[in-house]
Amino acid sequence: MPDNWGFVLAAYGLAAVVLGGYWRRLVRRHRDLEAAEGRSRTRK
Amino acid sequence: MTRLLGVLALVGLVGGVVMAFGVAPREVTQGNVQRIMYLHVPSVWVAYLAFVVVFVASIVYLARRADAADRIAHASAEVGVVFTAVTIASGSIWGKPTWGTWWTWDARLTSVAILFVMYLGYLLLRGMIEDRERAARYSAVLGIVAALDLPLIHFSVYWWRTLHQPPSIMKPGAATMPPVILAALLVNFVAFTLLYAYFVLARVELLRREQEAMA
Repeated sequence: MPDNWGFVLAAYGLAAVVLGGYWRRLVRRHRDLEAAEGRSRTRK
Repeated sequence: MTRLLGVLALVGLVGGVVMAFGVAPREVTQGNVQRIMYLHVPSVWVAYLAFVVVFVASIVYLARRADAADRIAHASAEVGVVFTAVTIASGSIWGKPTWGTWWTWDARLTSVAILFVMYLGYLLLRGMIEDRERAARYSAVLGIVAALDLPLIHFSVYWWRTLHQPPSIMKPGAATMPPVILAALLVNFVAFTLLYAYFVLARVELLRREQEAMA
């Protein structure tokens, strides 16, 4: 059986993109929320 | 707590990659492509776990109308969909060199695809209904009904003749694999479970604050 490293790298690379992308999305939403809360505090 | 879980998950994932590529040996029949197992099997485990959590939290929500249970169900469904996508993609990439095809409509693969579509529908349903209480109630019912697919997925390899192999570890009796491969797999199980816990806690917190901001 050939080693098929290309398939292995594709699987791990794709997983890193999907999971890393979701992680980044959570961090970005957290930052946006902090900024929005900061703005509403300043307005008060 | 959430940040600590994130750090632990990251450390676990690094450990998992080291185990998968540095410690686990090259498998005799499949070669290095079998290393996809250290990604594919833990991600399907997390998908199972996520949807069981949705099932339990949905029952709790319907029984007690607790907003916290609804937030847990929502967050867990979202994270479950992410891990199911990883499961399907990694399985398909593993399938091409081993089975000669990216996809086949056998019972295991089809039931996982149905699971993915059902929980995508769950998230769409939540997004479509503006009234939060009604969205929570309808999605709780869907979260309970959709979980019926989980035993179907698990036992599909016994009930029907499938291209997908039967389970090697999530079954009664001892695992049918060498200890070093099992150890590498267990490290990845722990890492993926920590990542799931981090994602869900972070998402629950975001949902709570978003709901407070909108109230």
